[in-house]
Amino acid sequence: MEGTSGHLSPPNPASKLLSNLPSRGLFSSTVLSSNPGGMRVYVCEHDTSPPEGQVIKTNQQNILIRALTIRKQTGHPIPKIAKGVTIAEGSRKRASERLLDSGTSSKKPAGQAGSRQEGSSIHLADKDLHSLTVERLRALLKERGLSPKGKKDELIARLKGVNS
Amino acid sequence: MEFFFPYEVCGLGVTITLLGGDTGALLSPRLAPLIRSALPLSSSLLLLLLPPSSCILQFAVLSIAREEGRNRFPSEKMSVWNYVVTAHKPTNVTHSCVGNFTGPQELNLIIAKCTRIEIHLLTPQGLQAMLDVPIYGRIATLELFRPHGEAQDFLFIATERYKFCVLQWDAETSELVTRAMGDVSDRIGRATDNGQIGIIDPDCRLIGLHLYDGLFKVIPFDNKGQLKEAFNIRLEELQVLDIKFLYGCSKPTIVVLYQDNKDARHVKTYEVALKDKDFVEGPWSQNNVDNGADLLIPVPPPLCGVLIIGEETIVYCSANAFKAIPIRPSITKAYGRVDADGSRYLLGDHAGLLHLLVITHEKEKVTGLKMELLGETSIASTISYLDNAFVFIGSSYGDSQLIKLNLQPDSKGSYVEVLERYVNLGPIVDFSVVDLERQGQGQVVTCSGAYKDGSLRIVRNGIGINEQASVELQGIKGMWSLRSSIDDPFDTFLVVSFISETRILAMNLEDELEETEIDGFWSQVQTLFCHDAVHNQLVQVTSSSVRLVSSLTRELRNEWHSPQGYSINVATANATQVLLATGGGNLVYLEIGDGILKEIKHVQLEYEISCLDINPIGENLHYSQLAAVGMWTDISIRIFSLPDLNLITKENLGGEIIPRSVLLCAFEGISYLLCALGDGHLLNFQLNMHSGELTDRKKVSLGTQPITLRTFSSKNTTHVFAASDRPTVIYSSNKKLLYSNVNLKEVSHMCQFNSAAFPDSLAIAKEGELTIGTIDDIQKLHIRSIPLGEHARRICHQEHSRTFAICSMKYNQSSVEDSDMHFVRLLDDQTFEFMSTYPLDTFEHGCSILSCSFSDDSNVYYCVGTAYVLPEENEPTKGRILVFIVEDGKLQLIAEKETKGAVYSLNAFNGKLLAAINQKIQLYKWMLRDDGSRELQSECGHHGHILALYVQTRGDFIVVGDLMKSISLLIYKHEEGAIEERARDYNANWMSAVEILDDDTYLGAENNFNLFTVRKNSEGATDEERGRLEVVGEYHLGEFINRFRHGSLVMRLPDSDVGQIPTIIFGTVNGVIGVIASLPHEQYVFLEKLQSNLRKVIKGVGGLSHEQWRSFYNEKKTVDARNFLDGDLIESFLDLSRGRMDEISKAMSVSVEELCKRVEELTRLH
Repeated sequence: MEGTSGHLSPPNPASKLLSNLPSRGLFSSTVLSSNPGGMRVYVCEHDTSPPEGQVIKTNQQNILIRALTIRKQTGHPIPKIAKGVTIAEGSRKRASERLLDSGTSSKKPAGQAGSRQEGSSIHLADKDLHSLTVERLRALLKERGLSPKGKKDELIARLKGVNS
Repeated sequence: MEFFFPYEVCGLGVTITLLGGDTGALLSPRLAPLIRSALPLSSSLLLLLLPPSSCILQFAVLSIAREEGRNRFPSEKMSVWNYVVTAHKPTNVTHSCVGNFTGPQELNLIIAKCTRIEIHLLTPQGLQAMLDVPIYGRIATLELFRPHGEAQDFLFIATERYKFCVLQWDAETSELVTRAMGDVSDRIGRATDNGQIGIIDPDCRLIGLHLYDGLFKVIPFDNKGQLKEAFNIRLEELQVLDIKFLYGCSKPTIVVLYQDNKDARHVKTYEVALKDKDFVEGPWSQNNVDNGADLLIPVPPPLCGVLIIGEETIVYCSANAFKAIPIRPSITKAYGRVDADGSRYLLGDHAGLLHLLVITHEKEKVTGLKMELLGETSIASTISYLDNAFVFIGSSYGDSQLIKLNLQPDSKGSYVEVLERYVNLGPIVDFSVVDLERQGQGQVVTCSGAYKDGSLRIVRNGIGINEQASVELQGIKGMWSLRSSIDDPFDTFLVVSFISETRILAMNLEDELEETEIDGFWSQVQTLFCHDAVHNQLVQVTSSSVRLVSSLTRELRNEWHSPQGYSINVATANATQVLLATGGGNLVYLEIGDGILKEIKHVQLEYEISCLDINPIGENLHYSQLAAVGMWTDISIRIFSLPDLNLITKENLGGEIIPRSVLLCAFEGISYLLCALGDGHLLNFQLNMHSGELTDRKKVSLGTQPITLRTFSSKNTTHVFAASDRPTVIYSSNKKLLYSNVNLKEVSHMCQFNSAAFPDSLAIAKEGELTIGTIDDIQKLHIRSIPLGEHARRICHQEHSRTFAICSMKYNQSSVEDSDMHFVRLLDDQTFEFMSTYPLDTFEHGCSILSCSFSDDSNVYYCVGTAYVLPEENEPTKGRILVFIVEDGKLQLIAEKETKGAVYSLNAFNGKLLAAINQKIQLYKWMLRDDGSRELQSECGHHGHILALYVQTRGDFIVVGDLMKSISLLIYKHEEGAIEERARDYNANWMSAVEILDDDTYLGAENNFNLFTVRKNSEGATDEERGRLEVVGEYHLGEFINRFRHGSLVMRLPDSDVGQIPTIIFGTVNGVIGVIASLPHEQYVFLEKLQSNLRKVIKGVGGLSHEQWRSFYNEKKTVDARNFLDGDLIESFLDLSRGRMDEISKAMSVSVEELCKRVEELTRLH
């Protein structure tokens, strides 16, 4: 019967797609009981507090600070740029972070302990040096085991010589 | 994917109502034609729809310290102490899911109805309801998941107030056990516009929540399945439309659908790095997807990837595949996965069309997509594939459905077969309380549903009869059921008496009711009474004789003839006794023996006898020691002793209406005499069984026609059925007689007919029909649906013309043009058929409707307020007030008046018409022109509102609920002819409804689901104090109220204590009908104490706190509830175990009986 009617009537595209619907034997009875009356209303008389340690709270640490501490713990360098300029612009910051992260990790897998110190002196530009006091310049020279003597220009020149 | 809007489908004037809860989905420029056909959007709507926190309009809102004003109320009766209780629970289905929740082998369907969840079991026979669980919160997310190593699923619930819990079913105790719970709110953060998202990683590594813009919250699982501390990750995408977890990823990966600031939509993936607590760029992204895309469907393994459901296209996307198909423009509202491998999905759209989406694939490689229309359902909010082609369709806009997908289409080409409808009243946009039968019992007629699923629902408190069988039979004069033997537990015969014959029906072997004969009965005449008698005998009384018949041989065994010239008028009998009255006031008493009918006593009374009863209510179940007799002429009832027929008591009824039916009955150990009069009144007395004394006389009105009283039992309890034009069941609760309507029209006779095929049934004779049916539980709301196929938004009843008028709108979803139409329609208040229709202009929406009359004019009119909602206007600047009269069942336009804005509200006010038009309150006079025609003439007005949306009046006072400026009180000054502001509440509440509780106290509902009351401060020392409405009560209802109305759903009886308590009915978006009762102070204090004790005993499911849930909560503040009580909690006292009741009784120092009595009294308020 069904076969012939299917043959005669125009093809029903959905019929094919609807075949083999999953079944686990439920709703199989030919007579389905209709809505079986009222439902028991649950009155909860037992203690409903969760087991110990399962009252969940949110970590209150600021997301930015957390990111910094995690990096510190894991030994990743804190990217300089993150500190100032781009803090407001989330998307760029994250992109740059990732760039820097991958950059440093690939370039310098070892010897990261000194990188911070190095980093700070490497970036000392000409202009920056001029802005420093003579005392500061002398201290820097001492750090590098150079002579702290002479005029300001000489000190700068000596520091530059190390940098370059 | 849920969209939450502060204004869902609600009655907030024209504009908002149109939008529904899904505006986010409708703002697609590419679907402009479709949108215009569905919704005339204007940019102003967006303004209105912004949450209050982001409102552009700024107002100096004074924050007033209310502390000083607390507990300063004068002691006289006031409506400050309110009791809020649900009469009809929420029915709007927001979420559903299927899984093994109650056992590893048991498959469950779990349904969320906003503040409740329902657990159903899937069985071979269908859906079996298990449990209805109240949740102390509005459910934002409902998900089943299976942590590692568990045999059954856990349920994750997150609420809109940022609480969550994980529940496990304990099969041994049948309890819901809390596995984890917590608070996921953040101190800083802007709540998402598009609703909260909660998702669980398919590999159960974490729960993800998107609650605030720009933040993604992660609750990680440890390897034992325990939850760990949650943390936030910054999400760059601010306008998120959907987030889902991808299947089959080694690291938990989310896919985000978002909109950029140029309104383009993109999809992006992120891996969640749990250790770093951050996102890592995911495996793929897809820019510029469909502009209307707002739903993601993750595809499980082996295919993996995601489906992006747009309005014009559907895209399958994964790291290495991209397939797209165009679809007929539609907005997909819900989806349900069919196969475990994710190759087929059911999609439900905004028009209620159900589609099948198929991913075709070859060897785990996606080759394409196919989409086929299956048929039409209610507009779905959730779809759950159950089993064996059965599907649950949960709906917010219409009834939820159980459907079956058939392999072959029906004659209309639909593959969908609707097997069951689950009533949903939501969203209730408006309703009216009417007493159509003029009985003192209110009925609520709601405007329910939205779009194509709009309907009217008639909700009334009454007992339903579930018809099992029915046959046409005219002129039934009496009915009795008889047994074939005295030991038989079931009735066999149904004796039906007509004016000139008696027919006997019996159950045959095929369990069919068939006409049969009892040879010993005389069937050519009317039967006056029938009964089973001892010794397997049957008694038949006709006008001439009493016949005693063997129930085994069905042959006559004995006969008693009435004296010559005296015919029997009325008779009654029990198993051993017969009492009858013949003309001339003769009362004859017979006793039944084995084959013997013996006349024991005969007395002559001075008047004719109208009714009698000897129902045995003493210790002997077969023998009565008292007889009740009702008399003509002196209108009395008399109690005689049996067998000697001595008069014990005579009670004069007074008046001129004769008693038509008397009944002796006992409820809960108390004996009563009920006496029904010819005019539909019922008297009840308490009867002293020994002295025969009648005390405690009470009178109630049940109908207008003579009543016939019969006892019946249901669930082992005896009740009385009063057959009349308003059939009523009389029952006893807590040793009090209660009356409940039966939802049938005019029943002439009733008798219990408890047969094997129709157990616990009643036979009912009504309007030319004999019906056999079972009776509902007593005191239950009965709902009748009138589908309209269009969205009714305002309703009003007119007693005078016995009609309803509605403002409705019809969406034309198929057409591309701007074609929604608005109507004022007139309906008959009995048949609910359309009698007349007045089409409104293009762009004109009906906003308010009122039935009223004016001074100096006796006619009753319908007034309709409208607004022209033009696409280019921010706020309607033009509207009309139309005045109609009903003539010959037609709406006739009598007058119209143009207004300068939307007419949001209309009220009858001192014989004039008070209208709220945009920011103004305007009073109109009804003037007679020279030519005899009438017109509305503006008299005075009052400015100073943002939008005056809701107005109520009392005397000269006008209470206005503003869009965002809470409640203000205005007064009309007759001498000056002016309206002035008297006082206002300076809080910034966005109102959704207002009502006046009494002269000084006003009730408001606002869009954060709170209720509050304010009070006029007439005794204030300064103008400033007097000009301020003091907030006296606050409460979080958790429901969006669209309308308050004074009235009651139950019959108010003069002998009831609760009869004096004023009540207000409210209707909400979730389909809740609730009652707010203003209690006397003493009762309030008592119940408050009970409530606080109950809080200690009844725990919130999932560890959620009742106190927190009921605390008033909006963006600005959270304060404890005060001067409102949660009736739902208080009434659950009656469901407690005895031990817990004792506990509370001890704490309260009040006996359990007293507590039960007082709580049960309250249950009679709804």
